[in-house]
Amino acid sequence: MRGRRASLGQRAYLVANGAILFFLLAPLAVVAVFALNPTPFIQFPPVGVTTRWFEKFFASAEFMGSLRLSLEVAAAVVVLATLIGAAAALALARGGLPGTRFLTALFLAPLMLPAILTGLALFQALQLAGFGRPTWALVVGHTLVAVPYVMRTTLAVLSDFDRRIEEAAASLGAPPLRVFFEVTLPIIRPGVIAGSIFAFIVSFDQFPISLFLVTPSRETLPVVLFNYMKFDLDGAIAAASMVSILLALAVVIVIDRLVGLRATMRF
Amino acid sequence: MPPPLPTASPASITLERVTKRFPGGVVAVDKIDLIVEPGEFFSLLGPSGCGKTTTLRMIAGFEAADEGRVVVGGRDLTHVPVHHRDMGMVFQSYALFPHRTVAENVAFGLRMRGVARPEMAARVASALAQVKLEGYEARRPAELSGGQQQRVALARAIVIRPPVLLCDEPLGALDRKLRQAMQVELKELQRALGVTLVFVTHDQEEALAMSDRIGVMNSGRLEQVGAPADIYDRPRTRFVAEFIGEINLIEGRVHDGGFIAADGRVLPVSSEKGEGAAALALRPEKLRIVSSGAGVIDGVLSDASFLGDQVLYTVTLADGRRLLVKERNPGTGALRQNGSTLGVRWEPRDAVILRNA
Amino acid sequence: MAARISRRGLLGAVGTATAFGVIGRPQVAQAQAATLKITTWGGKWGEVMKGEVLPAFEKEFKCKVEVDQAFPYLPKLQASAKNAPIYDVLHANSNEQWRAAVDGLVVEKITQNEVPNIKELYPYAVSDKIAGVTIFTSAIGLGYRTDKGLTPPKSWKDLADPKLAGQRGGYQIPVNSLGQSHLMLLGQLYGKGMTDLDAAYKALEQLKPIKLVDFTGQMEKMLLQAEVVMGVIHDSGIYRYEGQNQPIEFAAPAEGVLSLEQVLNVTPGSKVKELAYGYIDYMLRPDVQKKLAEAVWYSPASKSVKLDPKYDAKLYNTPEKVAQLIQIDWKWYNERKDEVDARVARILRG
Repeated sequence: MRGRRASLGQRAYLVANGAILFFLLAPLAVVAVFALNPTPFIQFPPVGVTTRWFEKFFASAEFMGSLRLSLEVAAAVVVLATLIGAAAALALARGGLPGTRFLTALFLAPLMLPAILTGLALFQALQLAGFGRPTWALVVGHTLVAVPYVMRTTLAVLSDFDRRIEEAAASLGAPPLRVFFEVTLPIIRPGVIAGSIFAFIVSFDQFPISLFLVTPSRETLPVVLFNYMKFDLDGAIAAASMVSILLALAVVIVIDRLVGLRATMRF
Repeated sequence: MPPPLPTASPASITLERVTKRFPGGVVAVDKIDLIVEPGEFFSLLGPSGCGKTTTLRMIAGFEAADEGRVVVGGRDLTHVPVHHRDMGMVFQSYALFPHRTVAENVAFGLRMRGVARPEMAARVASALAQVKLEGYEARRPAELSGGQQQRVALARAIVIRPPVLLCDEPLGALDRKLRQAMQVELKELQRALGVTLVFVTHDQEEALAMSDRIGVMNSGRLEQVGAPADIYDRPRTRFVAEFIGEINLIEGRVHDGGFIAADGRVLPVSSEKGEGAAALALRPEKLRIVSSGAGVIDGVLSDASFLGDQVLYTVTLADGRRLLVKERNPGTGALRQNGSTLGVRWEPRDAVILRNA
Repeated sequence: MAARISRRGLLGAVGTATAFGVIGRPQVAQAQAATLKITTWGGKWGEVMKGEVLPAFEKEFKCKVEVDQAFPYLPKLQASAKNAPIYDVLHANSNEQWRAAVDGLVVEKITQNEVPNIKELYPYAVSDKIAGVTIFTSAIGLGYRTDKGLTPPKSWKDLADPKLAGQRGGYQIPVNSLGQSHLMLLGQLYGKGMTDLDAAYKALEQLKPIKLVDFTGQMEKMLLQAEVVMGVIHDSGIYRYEGQNQPIEFAAPAEGVLSLEQVLNVTPGSKVKELAYGYIDYMLRPDVQKKLAEAVWYSPASKSVKLDPKYDAKLYNTPEKVAQLIQIDWKWYNERKDEVDARVARILRG
């Protein structure tokens, strides 16, 4: 009797998980079908398999230029957001600063604000200051919204960090800097790395902020895709999406391999 | 057992009017004077919030003293940062480096000191042997039990041969059986190393069992410092008397070399000088139950609790006050009957008089 | 361990180098020549503009053209300083251009004095319904599937045929000017005139259930996928699939077609006004008009364009055909936009 109930519950659990997975992956499948289907619109069942949309995507100077720019910006954003976010999280968790709660809220504010407003505000500020729309503004804008992710994940690790571990290191003769690099940093590393992966994705996928900050001929991939869609909604969009997804996945895997995300997650 | 690690000669610790105030004006430690002898096992005992941990942290250097001096081995360390103090530290939470193996944990202090590899390996092995953890070198802390983790922490602290070892409730997270075993081991280790050990605990039994001397703390002050028997048998304040073990307190006053209880009854004590309000403190095991009228006071037996080796009786006096009496378990299976009227007596030398402050 | 650290270090170094690469690169080469900043469409139009039209223009006028193809233009223009606008020439559809004009973001009137080629234009191109200069127009009519046994629509009212319930297509009126012009047309078809909004609302009610999309590209896809069998769409949105064997066709209703104008205008704060007017004039040259018209099936606004027969047959390039174009009073509409949006939202929600 009890066994049967358990297996029923188990089945329900599996079904629920399957449903969630399906819900998450179905759009991806649609995109994949669209990207490989010869018709320039979504057709089901697909009428064939073609690589023409991928060819179109890779042959387009506009797509390639924007992909390159998106990757460059994302790389810069990962570095900046990780440094700023992790440092800010450490300062907030450890610095004993006055008004810590206010500062935390301030740093996390870009998460609450619709990104489109952040983008517009930044654009207007740059215009007023007479900077125009330099590419670094794009990096700054993305960093602004990426920092909270790094902060969040780092703060999460710091919140259950036993500071006695650092004290133990100090008592064993480690000066403060060595304590930081030998003990603190390795322990918060999973949080920082998770945050930097978020930062990459936030930047690479960023649309609302880029919308205002891209300049003619220097547009990021999401912006180019958005504008392309207004005029030519064809499989090249889906091909671009597939490439983006695979690229993002590749970056996550590379980061994982390079700095051993799983290894550090173990404890 | 492997040969003990050679150790630096144990150091004395001297605290001079050491004071710590926390933001908000709370005085955590209030002008403490204390001398811990070289090689001594010294416990700081008290309830939580009494300032014992803060005192230890000031010795370690994690907290700066607001006033006073901390002198260790003749060296004034008051303004010396933690990493130059050369002390071993063991925490209740073990505080192992989770990302390092057992061997790497133990080697950490040696690495900081620039000890050469061969010597490092030898000392790590020796320290692990000392705490009976041979064969665990490659494990990570998460793969060890609580007791094993605390042994690693201990090995990590002693491997640097500190003149002083500081332990902040090191056994607090372990279950009772393991804790008792570790008490014995820690004590043996301390003797073998000859290190000066300051041990913070809120567990009076632990302090009594392990320490050469105990300092009982309350509200940031040292109430009494002395050997365990001293503290137990001759408490000098009500706080010490009540915090350690069970005790009967009878209010009254000292008059003419004797003690007069609040109800006017003169109670047997050793000759006492001076005058004034005081309490008479009697340990339950120092009281004897005798037949009614043959004791100092009569009462009615109102409760009996069987403790195994002993039986704890509650005797309710005519005025409603209660006395606890502990008797050795007679082993006959027969306890005294509730409701029986009986007398209670004690030897005058067992009565301790606590003057009201 | 050591190897891991050095690899990490390498990653950091690469990241930083990339960051500096990005930051250090000059955004746009500051040529000696004047720079004209314009907006323009993407897609096929953008290809022809950037591939042929603009390079030729740059050469002839010895200038540099900076092309912004990233929406949204109006908020960006609005957010930039009036005396240093980020665009010199704004390319927009007529109703957006009106909004810009009302906000003072573009000049009020452009005449033959500044743009001589205006004298070659059909009157609609610079009528009082237009803020700026129309360079092309499209005709909004009905697109339909030819493989669903439908009689080709003759009237706008055919869209209300009960058989089309749930299979007819329209637009999210608040965000799409085709939807907006269709709404006003409903007032004329079923009521006292273009400004009879009450009649329009009633007629809109009758079109439910209807599939609504944001922009015309989506309507094209809905038609191609047969999710919609008849919908409001501009002729170029159908003709662009010519030669691809798609079962879709465009019908111009007898009541007339709505005009979807491509309008250029100049910003008052532009530092290169001469060049800006020169650009508009250039866009009205017959060869340029022909090239772009045939690339994207837009009807040229200039009378002096001779199109190839294939295009000539379909586009609105004779006085008779142009007479069928119905222009919308966007100024009137935009003043009531909020009220209309609220009303329409209520109607279409249920």
